[in-house]
Order: sequence, then C-alpha cells, then structure tokens
Amino acid sequence: MNLAKAWAAQMDDYVIGLTWSPDGRSLAAASAAGPIGVYDGVTGAKLHELSGHSDGTNAVAFAPAAIGVAGPGSGPLLASGGQDGFVRFWDALGGKQSAEVNAGHGAWVENLQWKPTATDSNSQNPNLKMLAAAAGRKLLFLNPEGSIIHAFKDAPKTLSALAWHPGGGAIAAASFDRVVILDADDFRVQREFAYSGAIETLTWSPDGRWLVAGAQNNAVHLWIPEEDQEFHMSGYETKVRELSFSSDSRWLATGGSRDACVWDCTGAGPEGREPVALPHSTRVSAVAFQHTRDLLATAAIDGEVGFWRLTDGETRVAAVKLTAPPSSLAWSPDDNLLAIGSQKGGVLALRVAN
Amino acid sequence: MPADLRIPVTVLTGFLGAGKTTLLNRVLTERHGRKIAVIENEFGEIGIDNQLVIQADEEIFAMNNGCLCCTVRGDLLRILARLLKRKDKLDGVFIETTGLADPGPVAQTFFTDPEIREAYRLDGIVTVVDARHAAQHLDDGKEAKEQVAFADVILLNKTDLADAAALDRLEARLHRMNPVARIHRTRDCDIAIDKVLNVGGFNLSRATDLDPRFLEPEYPFEWAGLYQLAPGTYDLCIGAHSEGSEKECHHDHGGEDDHDHEGHDHHHGDDNELDIAFLPVALPTDSDYSTQSDAAQPAVTSATAAARDTAVQVFSDWEQSAKPGETITPGTILHRLHLDNGHAHFPVEVAHRGHYMLFTAHDVPTHLYAPGETLVRYIHDQDFRHEHSHDEEIASVGISLAGDLDGKRLNDWIGGLLAKKGQDIFRCKGVLAVRGSDKRMVFQGVHMTFDAKFDQPWGAAPRTNIFVFIGRNLSREELVSGFKSCMVG
Repeated sequence: MNLAKAWAAQMDDYVIGLTWSPDGRSLAAASAAGPIGVYDGVTGAKLHELSGHSDGTNAVAFAPAAIGVAGPGSGPLLASGGQDGFVRFWDALGGKQSAEVNAGHGAWVENLQWKPTATDSNSQNPNLKMLAAAAGRKLLFLNPEGSIIHAFKDAPKTLSALAWHPGGGAIAAASFDRVVILDADDFRVQREFAYSGAIETLTWSPDGRWLVAGAQNNAVHLWIPEEDQEFHMSGYETKVRELSFSSDSRWLATGGSRDACVWDCTGAGPEGREPVALPHSTRVSAVAFQHTRDLLATAAIDGEVGFWRLTDGETRVAAVKLTAPPSSLAWSPDDNLLAIGSQKGGVLALRVAN
Repeated sequence: MPADLRIPVTVLTGFLGAGKTTLLNRVLTERHGRKIAVIENEFGEIGIDNQLVIQADEEIFAMNNGCLCCTVRGDLLRILARLLKRKDKLDGVFIETTGLADPGPVAQTFFTDPEIREAYRLDGIVTVVDARHAAQHLDDGKEAKEQVAFADVILLNKTDLADAAALDRLEARLHRMNPVARIHRTRDCDIAIDKVLNVGGFNLSRATDLDPRFLEPEYPFEWAGLYQLAPGTYDLCIGAHSEGSEKECHHDHGGEDDHDHEGHDHHHGDDNELDIAFLPVALPTDSDYSTQSDAAQPAVTSATAAARDTAVQVFSDWEQSAKPGETITPGTILHRLHLDNGHAHFPVEVAHRGHYMLFTAHDVPTHLYAPGETLVRYIHDQDFRHEHSHDEEIASVGISLAGDLDGKRLNDWIGGLLAKKGQDIFRCKGVLAVRGSDKRMVFQGVHMTFDAKFDQPWGAAPRTNIFVFIGRNLSREELVSGFKSCMVG
C-alpha cells in the first residue's frame, strides 16, 4: 500500500467537521471558531472561506449528488449548523450563502444529516431533498431552499445524535435515555428504544440491519430493530464518540479507548465474540472505514493515524504520525484520498493507493 | 510547579428565588470583557449581552455500572467538550443548577471524565441561601441540606428581609452542617467577586480560615474554665443538686459567657465518676483578664493553650480517687471524683494567688464557690467537645494530625472508605503530608469520586495533615482511627 501527501492546508481553529462533495472535487472543513474553508479536493487550493456561524460552527454536510445548488451550472450544496442556532445552505463553489433557517432560536445546531437519496433524482416527491437538523430539543426536516418541511414535537432533552437509515425511509434520533426511529414520510415514531445513559453518536450498518450508539457511560449499544434484539458492549476506557461500519456491514470499528476495538457483526452479532483490538498508544479520536473498499483508518490523539485491513485478522498496513492531534477523518467518495482534520486547525489530504 | 491552567468552573446552587440569577448577573457585569460561559437550566434571565449562555438539560446517569455514587451530567459532558474546541480559551464557566438539583452529579462530572478533568477545574460550589425561607427549606427536605453540605461558599442572602436573631440562628445552623464553607451575608447578592470566583474551594491551602475548634484534635476533656483565685479553701460543686438541697448550684451558670451546661444531655461512661485536673496557669496576676480586653487576649490564649497541652499529659496519667468531701489540691494530677447521683462537693485548697484552669472530662454543671458561698465566675472558658450534630443528619468531621502519611495505606484506606461509604460522604477535602514528598498533597472528593495531586512545597510550614469530611451519618471515631492507621510509624 502506498501513502502520499496530496495536499495540506491550515485553518485558524480546531477542525470540527470535514465533508467531501459527492463528486469528490471539493472538501469543506469547518473550524470550531466558525469559518468554513472550501478546498479543491485535488490540489488543496482554497476556493472560498465561508463565514459559517458567528459563535462557532458545529457541523457541515455536503448534500448528495442528486441535490445541487438550484439553477444552471449547479454545483454542490453545502449545509452547516452552528452555535447561533442557524442552519445555512451554501453554494460551495460560488462561495455564497443560498438560504438560512433559524432552527434553534438560541439552541446550538449540533447535527445535520442529509436524507440518503437514490441516484435517480427524477422523483417528484418533494421530501426527497431533505436535511435533518437537530437544534437543542428540536428536530427539523428542512429543504435546501430554507423552508421547514416538518418540525417534530420537542424531544424531552437535547437531541445528541442523528442517523438516517441507509434506505432513507427513517431517521434515528437520540436524546437522553432513549432513541427514537422516525418515519421520513409521515413523521411518526416507528420505534422507540430506552437507553440508560447519554448517547454521543449513532450510526447504521450500510445494510440497515444494525443501529449502533456510542455512549458516554463508556459503552457501545447495538440494536437489531427488525429482530427486536439489543446488545450492550461495555468496558471502554472513556465515552465512545467514534463509530464506523465497513461497507459490507461486517465490521464495526469503535473508539473510546487506547485500542480501536472492532466488533464482528455478522450473524448473531458481537456478543460473546472477542473484538479485534487495533493498538494505539493514546486515546483513539476518529475511526473511518472506506466507503466501498476494505481499509480502516484510525487516528489517536498523539497524532498517529493507522491503516488496517481486517480480512485476515488484524493487519496494520501503514501508519503516519502527525504533529497535531487528529480530530476527524473523511474518505473521498472514490476512497482514494483521506482527509484528516486536526485539533490545531490542520487539514491534510493523503493519497492512498491500495 | 506549573500553575493550574485549567478553566475554573463555579457551580451555583440554591433554591428558586434565593438569588442565583442576581449573583450571576453581578458576576457577568463585573467581569465584562472576560470570556465566561454560562450553562443554565432555563433561558431568559441573564441580563448581559454578548455572553455565551448555553441551555442545559439535567441528564443524570450513572457512569459505572449503575453505581449511584458515580452519577454525572451527560449534557455537561457534551457542552463542556464542545466549549473546549475553541482555541481562545474561556476565562471561566458558571453552571447554574435548578433549585432542587443535587449538586453531586454536577461536581462528579469534573472528576469522572478524563477529557473534562484535564481541561476544567471545579473551583467552587456556591450556594445561595434565602435568609427568609432557608430554615423552612432545611426542615422540609434533603435538597436544601445537601446544597449546604456541598458548598464551598454560602451566601446568606436577603439579610434585609430577616431579623438579626433569626440570621444568627440560621448562620450557626449552616455552620454546624458545613463548617468548611465560608459564609457571607449579603443583600441582593452584593458581594466582592473574589469571594465567589477563584475561591479554590477544593483547596484547603487557606486552612487557617477554618474554624479552629472544628479541626482540633480529640481531647480527653470536654470543658475547661479559667479562674483567678486568691488563697483559701473553695468549694467545687459538681452536678445539679438533688431536690431539697440547701445550696442551689444550678441556678447560676457562673460565667459571663452563659456556658449552658444544662442545655446538653450527654451521658458518657459512669455518671458517678468525673475526671478533672486543676492546673495552675502562668498568667501575671496584675492584669484584669476578665474584661476580655483585646490587649489581654493573646496572653490568655497562649497560657490556656499551654495549660491544655499539660492537661492532655495529665489526663493520660494515673488518676487519684477522691470521694465526696475529700480535698483537692491544684497541680498536675488527674483526680477521679466520685459522685453521688451525679453530684458532689469537694474542697479545693488554693495556697497561692494566681490563675487556675479546671478541666473536666465531661461537660457537666461545674461551679466553684469562694468561702462565704460566693460563686466564682470563670474569666474564660473553652468547650473541647467536638461539634456533634444534634439536630441535623448532615454533619462534618475535621481531622488535624501532624506527621507523615504512608501513600499506599492512605490510598487503600480512602479508596475503601469511599467505595463503602461514598454515598453518605458528600464532600471530602484534605491537605496531606505524604512520606517521600516535599509537596503538599491536595485531596478532593465528591461521593465516590476523588482526585489527589501534589501542589506547592510545604516549605517552612509544619507538615500537618488536614482532612475534612462532610456527609450523613459519619462516625468520627471510625474516620479518625482509619486516618491514624495511615500514618507512618
């Protein structure tokens, strides 16, 4: 396997979010202070710096390919949310804001998730182009023009995580003590699961079978909603904020400790199985499987980024050491570039040939 | 020693209407220009523009396998982690809790999570108490009591709305529950900001601020009185008279300070024995100490302290028995007085004019009569009983012991103690001398969670350990003996 530096850029504060445009030609990076940098994915040239959010940006997400900026020559559409309570939509290539919604009215917008869409964009369903935004206790479905498609009844506590079912028919939303699965079309509660603790992050396996939560009480909780099963994997050193599934839905990589812990989710699931422990010497800060290939990248706060292949047990195929603690990892849509954001504002793109 | 660069956090507790928001607005106004984040439970009351105000939910959960003593606040973990990401560092964080909130989970959040613990320092818990309603709240439920027990600083607020006597009673009550907290009386929470910010609440470095009596070691006597006596034979009357007795002993308390013997109902050991020592005290007889003039105080203090130390020696010696009516002579002798139903008279022969200090093992009515049955008033007295909590389930234990601790034994003991009793121990704090380190170990805990680190060198200061526990149903004997078992040698 070959690793090479493609490009590097520097932002003025902690890189809190990284997102690739669906065509892989641009990368947006949000700094915790607020500004959002839009970079050329290939050269790293800074195309624009968007103002982001005045008190700090919390989340950025490029819309799927089917949803572009309206009008001729449309480019990729970027959504951002911040501590000012606003959700903003940006023409990333034009460097202009296209719409905004006051979603939180003072509450932080912490999670943005575009509804997954089929590649066929000819559907007349107006709810196809939909962004789910969580602001405090509110969950809103927004369209890219900045209007509210649906505002859900306030959750009892702050919504801490969102994850669309890969099919796009439902979204899972976590607030303290529970996870609900909400229908994307009629907005009703499909399922509700109790969880005793605070959830930091949610993810679905790509096949839609597993819903997984990383939690503050040093644990990972898994549900198979279709089979009414759930599993609790505890014993992590600290809270688990890092989750990533392999494209074949077999492996679930988790942070929360000095080892990245990878569970085998085939068949009956991870319970009773020994996880694969991928060793780091400091706390793992990000994990990311490739979208379609089989490489897993893991980052730890001492700056080490490891590349692993799990097919034959644990194999570290490469590693690099950065000078600043990595805060986020994002594979380009074609899996050829890994973008690494750092706590010190660095953005590094590595070319990965495997 | 590098300075502690962590962001200081102040937790504000108090019942609804006590004045938390008033205090918060005051702090934010005075610290205008500083970057202070305020985490509050409801929006809308902060009157200062451009402040970072974040709404919190009370997401309380148990960190470790449902252990109730390790409950933390999930919302705070999330918000504090996000606030850390900005490189322009906060100057401070205020967390305002709801009126009925238990401060435990908030405080424990700063001990349990490594990321939060590395970046934030719990500076202090400030409890605002409404002078009008506090007594009622303290009687009604556990919330108000716990908020007092947790506090590093108590603002006795709205003093303009309560009368002086009620304020004194309330302050005394708060002090009994939590003798380590600094209590300030305020109107409209008007107080110098440095009294509530950067108080170093978990740091007992200003241990001299503590009530000295609270930290006194155990003494084998409960009461002492200082008398100025001329030569002659005095009558020492112990206990209240039985009915029909000729001489009334109990009608007069015999002192200026209204030493209220009858007010306590303590029965220790054998009611028909009382150990006493009657010690000469080296004080010049030409001054009038009874005026308690400021000028005379240092002399009295040092003389009585010396007498106290002598008395400790005397009380560890063999006793001399005295039956009722047998003569007592002043000196370094432990007298075991035999009483008749808790009562007896003993002649005391005083050969020289001077000061004498009477130490009694128990706090029982004690009166001294000069020839002619004139009551002799003591010019100074001291209560050596520890402040047992008579009316509150929440109380505190302070230990002060000179010498070095064994680090491992200390760790085992405190770890075991908190694991077993953590639910009942709200706060514990200590400044400790550990063998092998020239630095002070600063210890702080909330329920089962605790943190210990070395800070500044002892330097010329005496290596005296101070340890304070505030909680429910604490056994002083158990804590003292446990702590002593950690001492070296």
